[in-house]
Amino acid sequence: MVRVATDIGGTFTDLVYVTKDGRVGTAKSHTTPDQFEQGVIDVINAAGLQPGEFESFVHGTTIVINAITERKGVKTGLITTQGFRDVLEIGRGDRPDFFNLDYQKPIPFVPRYLRKEIPERISYKGEIVKPVDLSVLPSILDHFRKNQVEAIAICLINSYANPVHEQQILEKIGELWPEVSVVASHQITREWREYERTNTTVLSAYVQPIAHQYLDRLTQRLKDAGMKCTPYIMQSNCGIDTVSATRQIPITMIESGPASGVWGAAALGRLIGEMNVIAIDIGGTTAKCGLITNGEVKLNTNYYVERTRTFSGYPVMVPVVDLVEIGNGGGSIAWVDQYKRLHVGPQSAGASPGPVAYGKGGTEPTTTDANLALGCINPHYFCGGTIQADMDGVQAALERLARKLDLTPHEAAQGIVRIANNNMVNAIKLISVNRGHDPRDFTLVAFGGGGGMHACALARELNIKKVVIPMLSAVFSAWGMLLSDLRRDTLLTQIVEFSADHAAERLNQTFKSLEKQALDAYLAEGFLPSQIRFLRYARCRYQNQEHSVEITIPSGEITSESLPTILETFHSDYEREYTYRLNAPVELVCFHLIAIAEVDKLKPQKVQPSGRKLEDAIKGQRKVDFIEEGIHLATIYAGELLEPGMKFSGPAVVEESGATIVIPPGLPCEIDDYGNYHILTAK
Amino acid sequence: MTARYDPITFEIIQNSLQAAADEMFAALRHTAMSAIIYEVLDMGTGITDREGELAGSGAGIPAFVGVLDKTVKRVIEKYGPSNEIEPGDIFITNDPYTGGVTHLNDVILTMPVFYNGEIVAWTANIAHWNDVGGMVPGSMSTNATEIFQEGIILSAVKLFSRGQPIRSVFDILTSNCRMPDFLTGDLWAQVASVRVGERRVLEIVNKYGKDVFLQAVKDYLDYGEQVSLDAIRRLPKGVYELVEPQDNGPDYVVKIEITDNEFIIDLTGNPDQDKGPFNMSRDEAITACQIAFKGITSPERIANGGTFRPLKVLTRKGSVFDPIYPAAMGIYYEITIRLHDLIVRCLAEKIPELLPAGGFASVCGTLFGGIHPDTGRPYAVIEPELGGWGGSPTKDGNSGQFSALHGETYNCPAEVAEARYGVTVDYLSFHDEEGGAGYHRGGKGVRIDYRIRSDNAWLTVAYTRSKVLPWPLLGGEPGSPNHVIIERANGEKERYSVVSGLTLNTNDIIRVMTGTGAGWGNPLERPVEKVVEDVRNEYITPAIAEKSYGVIIDPETFEVLGFTNGRKQ
Repeated sequence: MVRVATDIGGTFTDLVYVTKDGRVGTAKSHTTPDQFEQGVIDVINAAGLQPGEFESFVHGTTIVINAITERKGVKTGLITTQGFRDVLEIGRGDRPDFFNLDYQKPIPFVPRYLRKEIPERISYKGEIVKPVDLSVLPSILDHFRKNQVEAIAICLINSYANPVHEQQILEKIGELWPEVSVVASHQITREWREYERTNTTVLSAYVQPIAHQYLDRLTQRLKDAGMKCTPYIMQSNCGIDTVSATRQIPITMIESGPASGVWGAAALGRLIGEMNVIAIDIGGTTAKCGLITNGEVKLNTNYYVERTRTFSGYPVMVPVVDLVEIGNGGGSIAWVDQYKRLHVGPQSAGASPGPVAYGKGGTEPTTTDANLALGCINPHYFCGGTIQADMDGVQAALERLARKLDLTPHEAAQGIVRIANNNMVNAIKLISVNRGHDPRDFTLVAFGGGGGMHACALARELNIKKVVIPMLSAVFSAWGMLLSDLRRDTLLTQIVEFSADHAAERLNQTFKSLEKQALDAYLAEGFLPSQIRFLRYARCRYQNQEHSVEITIPSGEITSESLPTILETFHSDYEREYTYRLNAPVELVCFHLIAIAEVDKLKPQKVQPSGRKLEDAIKGQRKVDFIEEGIHLATIYAGELLEPGMKFSGPAVVEESGATIVIPPGLPCEIDDYGNYHILTAK
Repeated sequence: MTARYDPITFEIIQNSLQAAADEMFAALRHTAMSAIIYEVLDMGTGITDREGELAGSGAGIPAFVGVLDKTVKRVIEKYGPSNEIEPGDIFITNDPYTGGVTHLNDVILTMPVFYNGEIVAWTANIAHWNDVGGMVPGSMSTNATEIFQEGIILSAVKLFSRGQPIRSVFDILTSNCRMPDFLTGDLWAQVASVRVGERRVLEIVNKYGKDVFLQAVKDYLDYGEQVSLDAIRRLPKGVYELVEPQDNGPDYVVKIEITDNEFIIDLTGNPDQDKGPFNMSRDEAITACQIAFKGITSPERIANGGTFRPLKVLTRKGSVFDPIYPAAMGIYYEITIRLHDLIVRCLAEKIPELLPAGGFASVCGTLFGGIHPDTGRPYAVIEPELGGWGGSPTKDGNSGQFSALHGETYNCPAEVAEARYGVTVDYLSFHDEEGGAGYHRGGKGVRIDYRIRSDNAWLTVAYTRSKVLPWPLLGGEPGSPNHVIIERANGEKERYSVVSGLTLNTNDIIRVMTGTGAGWGNPLERPVEKVVEDVRNEYITPAIAEKSYGVIIDPETFEVLGFTNGRKQ
């Protein structure tokens, strides 16, 4: 029996498996954008695995984010409260590109003629002010049918406080047009802010039929191939969930790949005693950073698709791991603007033509090409030895670039790596210093194909003391999936003043009813009560302020006696976050319940050393330009031959089939019991 | 390295300065106590070179990019000759006449960065304080006639000396303000922010050396200048003039001269200063010109001291754009947007192939308050409004977007407003007032209905572009006006654009109506399929399709039934 995780990325579909006796294997195959499930089947075949032997199968996919960014969802209609037809188009009115007199706002995913209003009104307290008038529905649905609408989103004002009208509309649509794909906002979230909730509902509806088809095809093909276990789908909240639950709200898959990487870094950190971690995943097209404090991954419900420094993007109000992503990966193209300034990315050479060194027609140098030129990557062991790097092509491309900058080709290669590193340093600053954390208090866990190549340089620039490169760093995100439990987040905006008489009672009632809902859902799906546990959180703030902090609420009965403890938790958490505390009334704004169903997940095993000597892992020596530290003769190690307990120092390069780890002169590196690399970058 | 200074190092230093300004911004936002700072982002941060030229900015709105450099220069003027600037000093100003630029509510801190006893840079930030004293709570009054009525004046004074806070200054501040706790919290947030900037700049200087750092900053400013000069060279040379009547009577006048390497904005022909607070300091007039200049020439984000070197601004002492002390200027922002719009219009009418038509172009500052009917606590709403922008050479105008003075400014969601203020939002969508037809039509204005739920509420608004409409280009149609309709509980309606302290009672409705932007180009030439889409989407009615666009459309089937005589086929 074997545990398997597959992760569809922009360029490659990765697979990691772990056998019963703890043996770990990996495979990679090309992503197949027309039919993503084919790539999954391909990579299973490439690994030589039989689906019939799967003990568990976890899958992460980019299908949702791709359908959105490529505008390949279905024609969607929106039903909203009378008077609020244009909320989706107005957005929040911001203009991040703030000098631009010709800024283009985000164009809504539902055009105005498919946004229909329904008479109804709920107050912010959840009272029915005007009952919903369902008599207009038949003509709205006729209008949608006539215009080939395939999915319907429903989002009403104040439905977070009381979803009864949305429920009535859902039910009625089920009677009038049972085949149509439909989702209402309360099924996704009960948080306030109508634009964000409406857009989330619209995007979920927009991808729903596509996600259904994909999940159905995938499960069918795996079943046909003999798989007997229940497949799980990786979610953006760092948990996994069943296919049937994912089918209902597919938008929760939106960042499943990056979530599993950050989750993996957190799990790895807990395993090796590193509780504060900055995770960086350097792939082919992007670099993504996440932050882990006290072993916990930070999640947000203010995630945006396509948001940049100059574009508002589209909000998605579901719990998503807090990430900063930049267009800066191994395939990022270096270019010079009209002012002779060097830039790296965000354009990427992708898998085709890929870096110049692929010899597949790429002419503009990429970060990978620069790393080859500097000697960091071995041209004879490029992509695990599957490609002989076209170094003449690389040299010619660097010469062309260098001429524009009045530099030598070697200086241009240094420049590319320095600029790429600088971009990544700034991304790490965004996720750390700009959120009030000092990077020096963290360990850098770097993975993805380029993680090991850049990690030490990034750490030194940020004064981070330690770098950990996980074993299997190239497919680390897939590994992270094997460590997840089922996790469902429920958020409910409801204002409760702590000073009110009934406060404890309301907290109790609300948490209990949220827990009961979650429990019932799990039990109905066949989970056992013993598998299920809850974590309670509450977003609280000083009255009428907008800054809030999410605090932990103890499980069990909440009484008026336990309130002062909760309040003190708030005051101290708030002070830690924002540096001051106020003598002002406190209110709870949003309930947050995490319902976890524990599954029999992977327990990482220590690697037993074979007693091999360090010298046996040495492949040779070559000159490597470490840039800051200059050119040195570095010892080259075969990563596959390194074992726990081995120690060595830079200048060194470790070559694995999918990753290269660059260790500057003087830095000590040690392999831990699980096969991870620990590099001390400062005392 | 072949060159003495290598361009990659310069690039990295410049990026690091930007990152430092961003970090200052994050630090201030994170620790500020007032929602207007951390939520509305009425704040900005910046790093200047040692002479006060802007080298990096972390502003969230364009209106604050060009402010901080002026502060630093005034501090250098005031304290430099007497050698009174020392390591660890922090200066504070809010006086528009002494480097405060905007109005007294905006408080600026600046700190010199010393390296081996020599200033290498300055860090600075600006934040809107809820209250700085003066004749009314919140300090901004439409009735002020002297700046003394608008709050305590800090004319670039020392707040910290050699790293130590000057207690007396703190005490003067807290005893001259209605919300001393918030003042103290926000002030310390600003102190933390300039200090974090100082630390980051020093890290850069330590790493690369003073000479390389100074040279990198100089190179960055030169780069900013080069971007502007290239953009100016693409503009047609000449002298352009515009006289524009204003809603409240006087004409504003602008003369713009574009040469090979200069962009001169002459405002000397403008009316005498206002007796009330509708004035702007000369520094703020320059800022307004800078925002317009940047938007017209090269809106890409890079904006530093070099960017504005080719810009010259001429004003007349005693005019509305350069008033004589102690003129009041609490409502300067509405004058800023007027001046910005005046400059863009002046050029757009001459080079319409490059610039958009006029939009609603008002901050539409809306203030109302009363007693929350459910909590019994007082509430006060202070918000700018969203409106339609003009059609441009490339596309239809944006609908429902804040004015050109705003950037990362977010509106208050209806659901949050209902809970927080106890008003009911009955409507938040585009309105259907006519206006803005064009080859590229204007963006739609917004209608918001606030239903008041308790007696004795009050309303103050100061909108412009209420009588003089958003201006079209190349045969487009004007936009629609900004105004407020009060619909009383008994159904009677009143219309306002400027009103102070209007009383409202239960079930009265404040209907904010912001302008639809003007059209760019002849609507009769708009492609027929786009006109059909506009009718299908109900951005325009079939009647307008026929009247303005010359397309006769069946309102049920959206079939084109014919064309009017005006449309050439």
